[in-house]
Amino acid sequence: MKRWLGPLAALLVVAAATHSAALHFAPAFIMSRAMDALAARGVALHRFTTPARITPQTQTVVRSSPDLYYALCRFDLSNPGVQLDVRIGDWPDYQSLSFFAAQTDNFATIRGTGRAVAVRLLPPGSAPEAGAIVSPTAKGVILIRRLAPSAERFAAAAAAGKADRCRIEWRERMAAPAEG
Amino acid sequence: MLRVLVWLAAVVAGGALGLGSALYMAGLWPEGRSLAFGNVDVDGWRGDFATGSEAADPYTRARVARHGLLALAKTEAVYLTRNTDSAGKRLSADCTYRLTGGAMAAGWWSVTLYDAHSMLPANTGGALSIDASRMGAGAWEAVIAPERPADAAHWISSRNAGAFDLTLRLYMPEPALLEAPGRTLAAPRLERLSCGKDAA
Repeated sequence: MKRWLGPLAALLVVAAATHSAALHFAPAFIMSRAMDALAARGVALHRFTTPARITPQTQTVVRSSPDLYYALCRFDLSNPGVQLDVRIGDWPDYQSLSFFAAQTDNFATIRGTGRAVAVRLLPPGSAPEAGAIVSPTAKGVILIRRLAPSAERFAAAAAAGKADRCRIEWRERMAAPAEG
Repeated sequence: MLRVLVWLAAVVAGGALGLGSALYMAGLWPEGRSLAFGNVDVDGWRGDFATGSEAADPYTRARVARHGLLALAKTEAVYLTRNTDSAGKRLSADCTYRLTGGAMAAGWWSVTLYDAHSMLPANTGGALSIDASRMGAGAWEAVIAPERPADAAHWISSRNAGAFDLTLRLYMPEPALLEAPGRTLAAPRLERLSCGKDAA
């Protein structure tokens, strides 16, 4: 009997470790694959991609809504000296700007119904700043949603989207101490 | 030699057990178990208000990553899904259903049909959802069927959908809906009208 205790203990330890590891890595793994799929379908890095209206033929992400205009921007803030300048144009109906980390968390959402929005996205570990959001992970995706349940509203949303921006830029240097 | 094989078998079995149990408990395996979860159930519409948030447990996060990637946190939108009719029978493209409802405690809502892979079904009917802007502020009714019924003002196409489900999106939910969804949300009712050759 005793000779089975060691293998049994190993089985339980490996099972527990595999269970935890699978859950821990699954979201980031799935997100990484989704990001790769988005990149393969033309979703740009540091630029909002002009979307096609969601149909069975154009869908790329699970459970997309055919009533919404989606514009995606992938980001990579691995360089701590950069930031992302993110802007969305004015839209009279519902619109929002949502930020997703590499492990799928929706770490920030700004509602912009009836107004334009401008915000900066800073690399992980950055000090908080007014008008800026600190990303918890270097990589992620930003998503604009606009309510556009008809072909006409979608065309109008796409026109509003010409004012959208997702642009990487160098952060301004700290001001030098005043002389004298 | 036997001793080595026993240890090797224990490690392999442990790995399989751990992986299988993780996928099973997260609702990722086997296919179609994702609706067995959630912390909200309003008349058969199920959802998890932890979706999208950092507070979500690892099982929820894994499930959402697979079936609701890029979903918003609950203060912006909540998502409720059902794969059975009001009598508890599995939804099927072989049947015709009547979906009825009224105003809901949110700034905007929609109901969208998805297939078993969480994708829009491959059809060209251009009728995969209904939403508040089309249904008005009062009571409303829509028919779910593979073909457009002659006498229905609103239609959701289930053509090529197989065993499908419906997702109710509630954008800009009222605080009361988040606090007490069962008392606040007048969820749509889904009644099966006919099946098979009798389907409209």
